[in-house]
Amino acid sequence: MASTTDVVATDTAAEPEPAPRRGARKPRGKANQAGGHLRAGWLTYLILIVFSVGSLFPLVWSAIAASHTNARLSEPTPPFWFGDRLFDNLDMAWNDANLGKAMFNTIFVAGTITVSTVLFATLAGFAFAKLRFRAKNLLLLLVIGTMMVPPQLTVVPLFMAIAELEWTDQLQAVILPTMVSAFGVFFMRQYLVQALPSELIEAARMDGANSLRVVWHVVFPAARPAMAVLGMLTFVLAWNEFFWPIIALTQQNPTVQVALTGLGQGYVPDRGVIMAGALLGTLPLLIAFVLFGRQIVGGIMNGALKG
Amino acid sequence: MTTDHAKAAPPDSSGGAAPRHTSEKTDEPTDREVKKLERRSRWYRWDLKYSPYAFISPFFLFFAAFGLFPLIYTGWAAMHQSSLVDPNDMTWLGLDNFTRLWNDEFFWNALRNTFTIGIISTVPQLLMALGLAHVLNYKLRGSMAFRVALLTPYATSIAAATLVFAMLYGRDYGMINWALGLVGIDPVNWEAGTWTSQFAISTIVIWRWTGYNTLIYLAAMQAVPNDLYESASLDGASRWQQFRYVTIPSLRPTIIFTVVVSTIGATQLFGEPLLLAGSPNGGSQSQYQTLGLYLYETGWVNLHLGRAAAIAWAMFLLLIIIGLLYWLLTRLVGKSNGQEA
Amino acid sequence: MFAVGIAATLATGLLAGCGSDDDDGGDGDGDSQVTLRVGVFGQFGFEEAGLYEEYEALNEHVTIEQDSIAENGDYITQLRTRLAQNSGLLDIQAIEVGNIAEMTGDLNGRWVDFNEYEGVDTGHFLPWKLDQATSEDGRVIGLGTDIGPTGICYRTDYFEEAGLPTDRAEVSALFTDWEAYLAVGEEFAANGPADVAYLDSAGGMFNAVVSAYEERYYSADGEINYQETEAVQTAWDLSVQAAEAGLTDKQQQFQDEWNSAFANGAFATVASCPAWMLGYIQEHAGENGLGNWDVAQSPNPSNWGGSFIGVPEAGSNKEEAVKLAAWLTAPEQQAKLFSERGSFPSSSEAHELPAVLEATHEYFQDAPIGEIFTQAAAEIPTTIIGPSDQVIQENITNGLVALEQQGLSPDDAWSSVVSQLDNALAE
Repeated sequence: MASTTDVVATDTAAEPEPAPRRGARKPRGKANQAGGHLRAGWLTYLILIVFSVGSLFPLVWSAIAASHTNARLSEPTPPFWFGDRLFDNLDMAWNDANLGKAMFNTIFVAGTITVSTVLFATLAGFAFAKLRFRAKNLLLLLVIGTMMVPPQLTVVPLFMAIAELEWTDQLQAVILPTMVSAFGVFFMRQYLVQALPSELIEAARMDGANSLRVVWHVVFPAARPAMAVLGMLTFVLAWNEFFWPIIALTQQNPTVQVALTGLGQGYVPDRGVIMAGALLGTLPLLIAFVLFGRQIVGGIMNGALKG
Repeated sequence: MTTDHAKAAPPDSSGGAAPRHTSEKTDEPTDREVKKLERRSRWYRWDLKYSPYAFISPFFLFFAAFGLFPLIYTGWAAMHQSSLVDPNDMTWLGLDNFTRLWNDEFFWNALRNTFTIGIISTVPQLLMALGLAHVLNYKLRGSMAFRVALLTPYATSIAAATLVFAMLYGRDYGMINWALGLVGIDPVNWEAGTWTSQFAISTIVIWRWTGYNTLIYLAAMQAVPNDLYESASLDGASRWQQFRYVTIPSLRPTIIFTVVVSTIGATQLFGEPLLLAGSPNGGSQSQYQTLGLYLYETGWVNLHLGRAAAIAWAMFLLLIIIGLLYWLLTRLVGKSNGQEA
Repeated sequence: MFAVGIAATLATGLLAGCGSDDDDGGDGDGDSQVTLRVGVFGQFGFEEAGLYEEYEALNEHVTIEQDSIAENGDYITQLRTRLAQNSGLLDIQAIEVGNIAEMTGDLNGRWVDFNEYEGVDTGHFLPWKLDQATSEDGRVIGLGTDIGPTGICYRTDYFEEAGLPTDRAEVSALFTDWEAYLAVGEEFAANGPADVAYLDSAGGMFNAVVSAYEERYYSADGEINYQETEAVQTAWDLSVQAAEAGLTDKQQQFQDEWNSAFANGAFATVASCPAWMLGYIQEHAGENGLGNWDVAQSPNPSNWGGSFIGVPEAGSNKEEAVKLAAWLTAPEQQAKLFSERGSFPSSSEAHELPAVLEATHEYFQDAPIGEIFTQAAAEIPTTIIGPSDQVIQENITNGLVALEQQGLSPDDAWSSVVSQLDNALAE
């Protein structure tokens, strides 16, 4: 246990002991704009481009499919470039599925779930990573244990509870059961174990900061990239959640996924419109990616403990 | 935030030693100061002792409110015969559902499939994610764009993915078979064969989850202090050695995390095999039916709530066994140098 | 577990926070304003055919809102879950024929009995259709919306190439029974285009044959007996015969590959071709099939598909909901739905309306589908149905897929069906 004596942040990079525990160095470690230490060559770009194209292909193809008529999609050779029906199909999907209200609902639902998941996961993750308390390991195992329950069956008892509470068709039915996530707690714990030097916490304590202040000034800044990642993953998950919302909600007050189930009616579903709906349902996520992504790229460990 | 350096403030070494009292005071403080100090130190003790519970309680409260009842209910249902059509009508069976699973060829078949698909999808996925994260950690142009691109599979709708993979793996009109035909190979009936269908599912899993894990690794990599790399390169470490001796050890907790989460995900694998043919039977001979699909089919198609609940608990127990195996493995390898997983 | 106690308190607190107040007023007595919610899945088309607007115009005090889920699988999951708790049910809920038996069983008390309401005429429905929605103690819990009487769809261009007749009447005359249908297939295989199969799948063949029997998977007293019935035996043997003679394209119906096979014109006939299938074929066969498809009489017509609408007891506007349900399924409305959407009426009175009788289908070379399907509908037997019909037939179809695609012998395929079903049906 390195007990730091020089808690006052200095910019001396010199480290007397040979590689002690990670992070047992300047509390204000320079932001690792990670690659700082390495430059990318052409091979790197090639690899990334190949993987990106593979990743994007289904999304791009769904956009292509969304720009054709159903008849065109049924032809022997699938289309490989955009047709001229994109805006008609988008328009039809938007109106058919009543997507306006659904978007608004889903932003609210996924936003609430994301904020609460990230906040509570960071707090709990910090406690599990850096604090001492009784039954810590047992409780952590319990957290991990809750991740192991297969989700498909829980909808039956969950609906019993929701019906009892008379929350059917109301948004809290899809928000409250997923306000916290074991995945998030575990993720934050594993991240903070490594990324948050204990010395920073000690230094803050020495300065007489109470726990809340430590969380605000030390933990949150250190956890920011992980919070952004967790936020992103949670938002996507909440946005795409389908199995439970379809049981808990109806088309009168739907989330996007529930609204999209109304598309493609008839013995012959119009796949162009279905794809257009799917595309509309995915776009907000891409926007969210960019927003969260800036956070990840951006701040690492900036200004813990402004003295 | 300015702070007064009160000597009485106990440092919380992460060892969490009991707050040390500033004993043997040389200069006599006034009564009031003593009181203040005592009050403060009491407050601190209290803060140290109880704040961790405050931090973890929201999770456990919500879990108790919305997670515990379904969990207990599922356990209760597993001991009964009941139909999904009328879940309130239950007949007590005790452990019969479990003994029945033990003799259920379809359960063992699903377990086997889950295992093989899990291995061939998880291992490459995590290795690729690690490599990609490392590469993304370089100084890059357009790194933001790459990150978004790699995460899109996780966000892409199931409907879109289904269409595309059906187009790729189709027997008569699929693009892969068309490409194979160009080089003179006979078309493959992907969905009908055991290993071909499992291979196809693995590619879907890998496509969907690699970027997700990449992002998790990347966040952890960015928290590795730069001077570790600097001192390593001063010592003449090559890129590979830096990756091997700096990056990987620093990522250990996160790697443990992804292994645990992927193991759970692989055990509960459900969406991707469902996507391949659109029905929960996992192929006409159940050749790619996973435990997740078997659970779904038993509960939501054949409507046997009690039996499905037993499968859910069997999966749960299975994961606990795997967890114990992991733990034993790390113990045997002797790598647990003070880092508990 | 100190958390549990607090959680309970927390939960109660949360509840207090979000009290619900979504009572839809009282029950619609007289003509007070009422909003009726109708829950349907994919294929209904009430809204598209303008029926809701028409009803709202006739009944100023009624507003209709529709909830539609495209996939019946998702829809029935929601309906089952909600029915089990008697919570969140809409005023009218659609029920697919594959699920009607589970509703007329133990759950029939969750639905209103249409017999108890004045002014609901159940007499105009086809007797077998009404039977399907009637519980053992005589409660009618669903009103038929549409049915799927079957013909045989075939490609005239391929028949011509094979030297077979192409005229509808002549082709119908060829198909005197299912053996004859397969005999034509042998001839087609010998003389027809080399890369075209005679029919799409053994599973499709099985469905066509088995559906025309009164007793298939259940005995009259409700016992599962699929291993003993003549229907399953005959249908299985004929399907195996078709597969082993290489007459099938080894497809699985409704998968993407099957859809593409229509577009590519990969097979010449569809053995069980209900009225609603015509639109499906038109959509997927597209340009390739334009002017090439036609529809002939089936030697043993049966019913495939169709639905009901019912009114849950838990609804708050049952009187009004029953009125609407009766109106939506009345002969004139069914005829309109047929003209607009191609859903064939389940009401024998509707079959006598000119809009139905004189209907033709442009894509199918102006085939007189009104006439063909009305005649087929008259020959549909009263089949004994049970709650596990779908599960049983899906598993048998799977056995045929294993035979076609994985090379199982007929005996092995059948024993795999039996073991799958033993597992699926055991309580």
